[in-house]
Amino acid sequence: MPKKIDAILTQYGRKQDELIPVLQGVQKEYGYISPDSVSMISRYLRISENQIFGVSSFYAQFRFTEPGRHSIKVCLGTACHVQGGATLLDMLERGLAVECGETTPDKRFDLERVACLGCCALSPVVQMDQDIYSRMTVNKLTELLKIYE
Amino acid sequence: MTKEKKLSITIDNRTVEVRPHLTILEAARTHNIYIPSLCAMEHLPSYGACRLCVVEVDGLRGFPTSCTTPVEDGMVIRTDTGEIRTLRQEVLKLLLSEHPASCLFCTEQDECKDYQGTIRKAGVITGCRYCPNDTRCELQQVTERIGLTETSYPVYYRNFPVEKNDPFYDRDYNLCILCGRCVRVCNSVRLNGTLSFKQRGKITTVGPAFDRTHLEAGCEFCGACVTVCPTGALSTKTSKWYGKPDKEVATTCVYCPVGCTLKLQVRKSEVLDVLPDYNSALDHGFICVKGRFAVPEYVHSSFRIPVPQRITPLGYNDISWDEAIAEAAERLAGVKPDSFLMMVSPQLTNEDLFVAQQFARQIIGSDQIGSPLLYDLGADTGPFVNLVSQSSAFDVIDDAEAVLAIGFDSTYDYAPIGIGTKKAAQRGAVLVTINSCDTNLDMLSEMAFTCGTEKWSALVGLLTGASAQGAAPLFPTWKKDIAGIQGIFKKSTRKVIIAGPGLLAAPQRTEIIEKLLKVKEKGGWDIIVAHPYSNLKGMLAMGAFHGIKTGAIINENGQAEGVKGDLSKFDLTKGCTVIYAVGVSDLDSLPDCDYLIYQNALPSESQRRPDLLLPAALFTESSGTVINGEGRILPVNKAVEPYRSAKPDWWILNAIGERIKKGVMKYAQVQSVQKEIAKTIKGFPGVKKRLEFSRIDVKMKTPKGAPKMRKQGQFNYRGIPLEAVVKGMKAIEERIELISGSNRGAI
Amino acid sequence: MNKLEKRIETAKKKWETLDEGNKEPVIYVGAASCGRAAGALDLIAGINNFINENNIKARVVEVGCIGPCYLEPLVDIRFPGQPRVSYNNVTVKTLPMILKSHLMEGVPHAKLALGHFGTNTFYDIPRFFDLPMLKPQVRIVLRNCGFIDPEDIDQYLALDGYQGFLKALKASPEDVIGVVRQAGLRGRGGAGFPTFKKWTVCRAAPGEKKYLICNADEGDPGAFMNRSLIESDPHAVLEGMLIAGYAIGAQKGIVYIRAEYPLAIERLKTAIHKMKEYGLLGKNIQGSGFSFDIKIKEGAGAFVCGEETALIGSIEGKRGMPRSRPPFPAISGLFGSPTIINNVETLGTLPNILRNGAEWYSKFGKEGNRGTKTFSLVGKIRRPGLIEVQLGTTLREIIFEIGGGVQKTFKAIQTGGPSGGCLSEEFLDLPVDYESLASAGSIMGSGGLIIMDEDTCIVDVAKYFLDFTQKESCGKCVPCRVGTRHMVEILDRITHGEGNPEDLLALRTLGDTIKKGALCGLGQTAPNPVLTTLRYFRNEYLEHIKDQRCRATVCKDLIEYRVIKEKCTGCQSCVRACPTGAISGPRSEPHNLDVSKCIKCRSCYEICRFDAIAGDAIVIRTAEKRS
Repeated sequence: MPKKIDAILTQYGRKQDELIPVLQGVQKEYGYISPDSVSMISRYLRISENQIFGVSSFYAQFRFTEPGRHSIKVCLGTACHVQGGATLLDMLERGLAVECGETTPDKRFDLERVACLGCCALSPVVQMDQDIYSRMTVNKLTELLKIYE
Repeated sequence: MTKEKKLSITIDNRTVEVRPHLTILEAARTHNIYIPSLCAMEHLPSYGACRLCVVEVDGLRGFPTSCTTPVEDGMVIRTDTGEIRTLRQEVLKLLLSEHPASCLFCTEQDECKDYQGTIRKAGVITGCRYCPNDTRCELQQVTERIGLTETSYPVYYRNFPVEKNDPFYDRDYNLCILCGRCVRVCNSVRLNGTLSFKQRGKITTVGPAFDRTHLEAGCEFCGACVTVCPTGALSTKTSKWYGKPDKEVATTCVYCPVGCTLKLQVRKSEVLDVLPDYNSALDHGFICVKGRFAVPEYVHSSFRIPVPQRITPLGYNDISWDEAIAEAAERLAGVKPDSFLMMVSPQLTNEDLFVAQQFARQIIGSDQIGSPLLYDLGADTGPFVNLVSQSSAFDVIDDAEAVLAIGFDSTYDYAPIGIGTKKAAQRGAVLVTINSCDTNLDMLSEMAFTCGTEKWSALVGLLTGASAQGAAPLFPTWKKDIAGIQGIFKKSTRKVIIAGPGLLAAPQRTEIIEKLLKVKEKGGWDIIVAHPYSNLKGMLAMGAFHGIKTGAIINENGQAEGVKGDLSKFDLTKGCTVIYAVGVSDLDSLPDCDYLIYQNALPSESQRRPDLLLPAALFTESSGTVINGEGRILPVNKAVEPYRSAKPDWWILNAIGERIKKGVMKYAQVQSVQKEIAKTIKGFPGVKKRLEFSRIDVKMKTPKGAPKMRKQGQFNYRGIPLEAVVKGMKAIEERIELISGSNRGAI
Repeated sequence: MNKLEKRIETAKKKWETLDEGNKEPVIYVGAASCGRAAGALDLIAGINNFINENNIKARVVEVGCIGPCYLEPLVDIRFPGQPRVSYNNVTVKTLPMILKSHLMEGVPHAKLALGHFGTNTFYDIPRFFDLPMLKPQVRIVLRNCGFIDPEDIDQYLALDGYQGFLKALKASPEDVIGVVRQAGLRGRGGAGFPTFKKWTVCRAAPGEKKYLICNADEGDPGAFMNRSLIESDPHAVLEGMLIAGYAIGAQKGIVYIRAEYPLAIERLKTAIHKMKEYGLLGKNIQGSGFSFDIKIKEGAGAFVCGEETALIGSIEGKRGMPRSRPPFPAISGLFGSPTIINNVETLGTLPNILRNGAEWYSKFGKEGNRGTKTFSLVGKIRRPGLIEVQLGTTLREIIFEIGGGVQKTFKAIQTGGPSGGCLSEEFLDLPVDYESLASAGSIMGSGGLIIMDEDTCIVDVAKYFLDFTQKESCGKCVPCRVGTRHMVEILDRITHGEGNPEDLLALRTLGDTIKKGALCGLGQTAPNPVLTTLRYFRNEYLEHIKDQRCRATVCKDLIEYRVIKEKCTGCQSCVRACPTGAISGPRSEPHNLDVSKCIKCRSCYEICRFDAIAGDAIVIRTAEKRS
């Protein structure tokens, strides 16, 4: 059961510069930023809901829909790109029948791309939830997906 | 104050002197040097996004934007080199690849006008020549100045659906160039926060949170975004296809006592649109939805009364003015003074009000002059007009340390006061609100006391220190908050109370008003009254009020005793022979009478049918003055000819009066009325400073039947609800209803 | 003796027990993010199991990254009385062998060992720092990386940590700036602006409040120097912040770090907590009158926030959109106060300069480009990893000596990430310094070096970078928002074989407009990858346009998959792997590949290369020229 939003908000000061930390805190707890959360944040920080949405939609980190059970992040950093990261993403998009940035209809996976995970020497890498898998291939990835239900 | 030293700069080999703290663009403009620009705009913080205003500056790398670079002494600037020209052209090409540009580069461009009638609809969709902003478009002008005649890039048509679900203006973001003017004006100037950039990069759009409509997102519909939009992306629904106006007439808004300057956009006999005047010292261009959008539809309503009409058993018959005047005069001649009732609207001009009271007093010999506000306020009228007459200048808010707003919400009206309050709060003033529902100021407030109107009096007493008697136990949960606010208020020296229209809905309104006047007297507090009776001060000054003579209330020396009025014998329920209602349309509240004259622009919505209809001209159709809430005489200027046979109120009154008793009035023009007024109010209407009003002590008794509160939250002009004639106002009223139930305050 | 000095003394004694004076074996495991991705955490579990099962008294220390990522995971063992020995690419299989031999018998497993850290010869194991990847390097910023436990402030203190700061406290802020000026330190974030100049402006700027921001928003794809440094030696960066804060007169420090670096954030938090405990943060630090506090702000996923003004906007809780300068942040930055933003590496260098003096530091590098620079060496290189070299080292030395050369034939090197350029073979002898790279049309950038070989398509790489900047463009100014979009589209056409010769001119014009017209550094440098590749690899563009040929067999529309009948044994691995049923054929007979069904997903190619009996029977080759 996630914490009440009030409990999250009161950890922060009531200033505009706390907006991004607040959004991060809320997303960590709920997995996404809902309209209700925005409304509560607005009252707490005294920033209009529209401005909050403007700020949060600028940053790739924030999402406004409920996330799936597992997140797949395909690294498309330069090193991963030259080592075939895009092929992995292609394969996932096809295999899961979703576009990058979407959640599978069964809510099993979120498919995302990231700019760089900083593990360039082990490229291409894929992050499943919190674990990073290095030197991935199309076939290794197919096997890997089976572990995550 | 020491004068700041001027700077010397060289622009395009011309050495000129400029004020410091200007940007290069501003400096160039003061010396009539043209630098193209789309995102920069006077009164808006600079942004630097369109990149068209690039210049070269000695010592600065690359091509700085002139709209963001401040001038420095000795700066050498070039605004028009070959390289700059090429760069501007290239950047403009890129800009136009996001914006349908057929109005600029189409080979059929010149012939296009001829086909206007047939291609209009298609044109809207493709952004072709007949984009709503055609010929008024800044982008067109800039393109012409930069001299771009073709573009080689493909156009990215973004295919956004045109947003038409909000009142007053449509949004076609396919035409948006993301210059950010609307976002800046909404956030930095209007302090409203409805518009924001959303997403980023090539999918950046402008709008409110999620996919909300503007109405849902808390938009004030002040139209500032539409005013500043350089393209056709934002356009006023009613005037979007009308093209350029012929002329602009500055006038004063009569919808509320603030008296904002309105720039009426006129073509032939039509007011197409209304724009704010950002240079107005009074309102800084902060007009509200009523001034911005509710004028053209009202004044050009198809329901206007076209000609004088007389009731017959078969309905109304058109008659000539001559017949009408003769009939009215006949009915009025010989009427007993106490059998006559003159009802005037506080939204008439001073001149109309003056002639109306003269008519009652000198033609009929009666002091029976009433106004709808007597019905609204009943026994509380006295204290209320006293409060109004003692209200301060609006600009006290500008350097206030503490503001207490009671029953006040500036979403849809009193915008300059609301924005002033928000600015004060932003720069650190302590703002406290009392209301029975959420208000648009709560966000910036130190504390928002939301409670039922019955508790307001006690709360006001506690917070201001006027009286704490028995109040504390009412607010067990706010003990600490109240104590905190009391402390702050005690320490502050420059304090302002804004008494909003919500005050009039509080059962103990007299008690509250007395408390307010008490703390004002004790010092430290200024009071601004935001009420719906636009020209109430004018009405009092003109003496269009039972028992108060023209000019009696003007306190020239600042030490008058005060005016004593007496309404205790004025019975508004007593039947009359003739009632003459000028700009008053709630006829069902009026007492019985044998003959009812209804002088207005639009027919009344009442059940009761008047005997004679006299078509009156509106504030766009006649000249005059009003006195705003802070006591300034402001001009109302005629912009168009009156509708059909309509005539100014003073003209009609004068004509009938002359017919009854020759030689009393004889006004041929409004100036002659003004001359007459100047006999009692010196310098009228040319007085520049605020008129000081005396205290008024009006004796009253509760008129028969309890004082009735009118339907709440209804904006009206001359008794007609704006929503009845202005389409978009209906949505606004519904929104108010949704947010506040019935708690917004009387009108 | 004051409290801190006492702590330092204890720390030194404690360090002895891990270092030369160790009484029991110490096992160091490289467990920075990269090590973890390679399986370091499994190894730690394995080691603990082994120790417990065999009742061995030994200490396990998690250390950061020592650099040669391709050898990850690394496990080092220091047996009492022996030098520390490093083992590379340790797996769950080889781990027990190593532990058994080295821990139980005291004999290093020479066959699996990589190198030792002693001075004399030790078994047949080479000295670690004599390894070809390490030998040419000069480790100043990275000196502690991989050696100390980043979560243990005592280990940092034992190795002279915070000595630079304590020295600075004894001098005046102006003197500290003077030392940095003399050392010749230039900002390591990319543009190489002299650090002291920025500081001087900020120090002189009027204002009560001043801020120091550590820019750890390492956004360049293919660069991980900052992550590695923070994960491996967070105190070095934090000490640098103290020094910089003291010099400019700031009271508040903020680390702006990517949220994608959770381990680094964790390590910073631990380190800051310890600093407070040790009296190295807070009010009146060590009785000097200097007060300083450090806060962490996590980025939220926007590359453009690496740009100073955007970064400031982001910290203020706004959209991370750059604004025009002037005013410069050093005069009006965060909340309108004078603000200095320094890169992680710049800050990590400062303790060393202060500790050892300007003269010492200026011995490294060359005139005008003093000191060292860290790089992440990745791509088609044999020995990818994190390296630190003196400025002025040539690209050739970096690629061929340190990096061990290229997997196939060298084609290009990209420096400076998406803002940098692609340099060809002819620049291999270019010394790596700010000016030389700029003269070649590239930039130093923050330090990502991406090596490309013949399998890398240059047009595809240019498109990749432009696509990246396009996606990360904040959308504020027209040239960047719209211009990069046109460029990506043209490049995309070319990689699909639909380009035309005029496209090259259009790319140049667009590139030029964006460079001159864009608002911020991100925009102004965005065209660099295209402009440099157009300059140095024009032929490859022309091949795509005129011959519809991609010689690197990367551009999907210009390649095809084929089965080499002679090689195929008919093992059917590829038939099973193919997601579209494009490959068919009975067992033991050469398979057929239906080109019309093939979606070029690479599954069959991979399986044939690694798992199939046939091995390399499936090839990817350039398609026939379209009519």
